[in-house]
Amino acid sequence: MAGPITIAFDVMGSDFGPAEVVAGAAGLSLEAPQIHALLVGDRDAIGDTLKEIRHSGERISVHHAGSFVAMDEKPAEALKSKPDASISVAAQLVAEGEADALVTAGNTGAGILACAQRFKLIPGIRRAALAAVYPTRRLHGEKEDPFSLILDVGATVEASADDLVAFAVMGASYAKIISRNPNPTVALLSNGTEPLKGPARVVEAHRKLKEMPGLRFVGNVEGVDIPKGTADVIVCDGFVGNVCLKMLEGVQETVIELAGYAHKSKLRWRAGLAMLSSGIRHLKEVTDWQQYGGAPVLGFDRILIKAHGRSQARAIANAGKVAAKAAASDLSRTILAGLPK
Amino acid sequence: MSLPDRIDPRPPRHIYRWDLDKTYLQTEFDTFRQLMRTAFQKAAEKVAVPGAAALIRELRSRGDGRLCIISGSPKQMRSVLEQKLRLDGVDFDELVLKDNVRNLLRGRFKALRGQVGYKLPVLLKSRAAAPPDSDEVLFGDDAEADAFIYSLYADLLAGRVPEPVLRQVLAAAAVYPDDAARTIAIWRKIPTADPVRRIFVYLDRLTPPGRFSRYGPRVVPVFNYFQAALVLMADGHLSAPQVIRVAIEMVQTAGYNLLTLSNSFQDLVRRGLPLESVANSLLRALEGPEALFHEIRPFPDIVNAFTKRLAALGTAPAPPAAVEIDYLALLEDARPRRTSTVDDSKTDPRR
Repeated sequence: MAGPITIAFDVMGSDFGPAEVVAGAAGLSLEAPQIHALLVGDRDAIGDTLKEIRHSGERISVHHAGSFVAMDEKPAEALKSKPDASISVAAQLVAEGEADALVTAGNTGAGILACAQRFKLIPGIRRAALAAVYPTRRLHGEKEDPFSLILDVGATVEASADDLVAFAVMGASYAKIISRNPNPTVALLSNGTEPLKGPARVVEAHRKLKEMPGLRFVGNVEGVDIPKGTADVIVCDGFVGNVCLKMLEGVQETVIELAGYAHKSKLRWRAGLAMLSSGIRHLKEVTDWQQYGGAPVLGFDRILIKAHGRSQARAIANAGKVAAKAAASDLSRTILAGLPK
Repeated sequence: MSLPDRIDPRPPRHIYRWDLDKTYLQTEFDTFRQLMRTAFQKAAEKVAVPGAAALIRELRSRGDGRLCIISGSPKQMRSVLEQKLRLDGVDFDELVLKDNVRNLLRGRFKALRGQVGYKLPVLLKSRAAAPPDSDEVLFGDDAEADAFIYSLYADLLAGRVPEPVLRQVLAAAAVYPDDAARTIAIWRKIPTADPVRRIFVYLDRLTPPGRFSRYGPRVVPVFNYFQAALVLMADGHLSAPQVIRVAIEMVQTAGYNLLTLSNSFQDLVRRGLPLESVANSLLRALEGPEALFHEIRPFPDIVNAFTKRLAALGTAPAPPAAVEIDYLALLEDARPRRTSTVDDSKTDPRR
């Protein structure tokens, strides 16, 4: 795709309100001249924030939306009762071609549902998948990302064997484009590495993936392999993926809390932690999810990046960059080309 | 004795006052190296801000305007600056430059960087010689104290600033006592009038536009000169075809496109500038037979882009409220600035 790329930002509904999303888009307008931001949400709230922060007025436009879906609302009901919700308006603008991709830090279910109602699934894809990046021991791709991709983490609770195969293709395509990893390894999450381990759909998916040309399938991996980074892309259904992701987040938070506890309890431990502080800071920077920006929802003919609800300006700007990169490199076409014929 | 080619009996109705560096010219002098490079640049190497030359040419083409340029560049640069303006097809009436050699010889080091002590008396002196019923539009930038100086100048002419306030401002801006006395003396001679209609601040440093709300709605920060042209059209200084010609120059020479132009338009509407009628006039002008206008983009695209940007906002935002400017509270803006230590270029698409 040549020329400027427009990213629609659902400004409302994130944990920090419009300020952080607007600030992220404003930062992007200064950093990346080829990216234009279309801010969708309350016109006055956006205007009030925008006029107080550095931005390029040439690369930002606003589309008013009268309401929004809050984090605690039920997606289907909320979207039905609020047709002018910012996520619906933003998805509609992307569907109509006014923007090339959508970034939201709001209610995940509402984001996916709003897009499902307006975007088309790529031919050959039956269900969309939410992919997430997570920090790993091994580095991946040309960019040496300390992250792997896991999908699905919640969009499709029960996936068939064909869905899992499609997820594998979508994840590999995404890793090729975003992580600049020309030949990413793909693995299937199971309860053993043997091909016959796991439920029937996983066994069948294993057989199909093994026969797929153009896909570097490395077989099954176990939960322990996720943080090791054994594969660049790990495939599972939404139920399993969500449990894994939450567990990874929980472990990380617990480790940090334990470090705080150690810091308080003994002078020797405090001294030890102080000596390690620059290393810990570096580790935190390297594995900081904010630098990755957001999780892509794959399978639609349009790009949707779901940023974390607690995303601050930097994460939003990075989500915008990821969205622009995916749109510019025509991710949907790459996925379509990789699907079994 | 030869007669002049043309005798124009009409006094100028409009005076357009322009700053040069960072307003008309893309100039970098925040570091010593940049200062040296700027000083030794040839006329052809100097680059104008996109659309600035076209805007001036259009304003001048109406025949009832006077162009007065006031710059902090040293007098030694007169020849190269005049040459640059000629290259751009910009015809001016006044070009005032700073006598920094004289300041150096007199040991007036504070005057080297000071803006208020230099610009304010020059503006007042020029006004004293202008036709009393002429109105003024001023163009500056966000790099120095232009919004402050221009607003103060406008309110001094209108009799809205008492003399003690002016004295305090001059003292705070580190203006030498004799220069301050000279400034006050010139001001006292000018009959009270309210000629300044608009002050444009070109956002060279991309300062948040809201920072200028303290100066009231007369000050309009602009990201580019297409925005200035739109406001000048609403104010009756330009016609729709003239605005389109400014846009065309920006498209052809600086890579502006339908998105950046329509976003720029919406940015002003969001800030409460009443531009709906301007949009309608522009669209009517585009429907005309002039093939020139089709150079930007096919006509339906232009119509769509502007109408969509208007419709996207829903109801028109409220216009900005008029404010009484408290110059004493804004004194910080008048003090000479130190060289910036922040490297804006890393996050600045203009660089």
